[in-house]
Amino acid sequence: MIAAGRPFLPLFLHVFGAMVLVGAMLAVLLLALAGRRQRSVASLPGAAFWTLLVVALPAWALMRVAAQWIYSSEGWSGSGDPAWLGIGFGIADAGLLVLLVTAGVAFWWKRGGRPLAGGLVGGLSAIYLALLAVAWLAMSGKWS
Amino acid sequence: MSTAQWLLMLHVTGAFLLVGGSVAAGVLNTLSIRAERPSETALYLRLVRPLIPVIGLGSLATLVFGLWLVHELHFAFWSFWIIAALVLWALAGALGSAGGKHQERARELAERLAAQGDTPADALRALLRDPRGTAMSWLAGLATLLLLVDMIWKPGA
Repeated sequence: MIAAGRPFLPLFLHVFGAMVLVGAMLAVLLLALAGRRQRSVASLPGAAFWTLLVVALPAWALMRVAAQWIYSSEGWSGSGDPAWLGIGFGIADAGLLVLLVTAGVAFWWKRGGRPLAGGLVGGLSAIYLALLAVAWLAMSGKWS
Repeated sequence: MSTAQWLLMLHVTGAFLLVGGSVAAGVLNTLSIRAERPSETALYLRLVRPLIPVIGLGSLATLVFGLWLVHELHFAFWSFWIIAALVLWALAGALGSAGGKHQERARELAERLAAQGDTPADALRALLRDPRGTAMSWLAGLATLLLLVDMIWKPGA
């Protein structure tokens, strides 16, 4: 029920990666919101971009690789998998696209300092955080 | 969904808020140390403030729903992994609070320096890199990490 009998290392790495990813996106959201109010602070776009590159993307990779490791070691086959697994994988894979687009827009914000780019980084971060919340709720509640 | 599944979902949500909030605070704290001007340091440390209720709510939710889950699933309250989790939870909270107070002192100094010309100062640099304050935050992070290991591994369960 609560992780008993499940492989420790891949599950730990999966959960740890997911939690660090949530933290990184939360930080990026706060940086983007601050960027809307404090347009004179030149380091905010760079801080958001580097947080995405150095923290969020490696955390995503750790979460996704460990997810595949658990999937293989627990003998899931793809047919008849429960809904929570589909939701988790769907959000993880679509999330990479959202993450890469957010990083691209953050780079644009860093280079040009355009307020629109900062707003987009904030909006994309909020959307991704909401998706991640759905994933952790579905996976921990074992939605069927 | 069963009661246990609801409780596990809420317990895990608490853990995501606790660890996610702590990671975000760690990122902002790192940015504040690397900032060049006191006004930037102050800004990054101000951004940590909205995370305090997130971390607090997560911390409370992990404890309340965790203990409820132990009762619901008939685990022994005196099992090693549960005692270890409670000790680590208290340690993480106490160390995190001490680290947070240190950051608050750094923010106050940074705000003052920002208002007085916003030039880099050795006093702020020394406060931000103070080994005791830094150690508190790192140890709080370590205790939180060990708490996560304990929750997933469940030694002695």
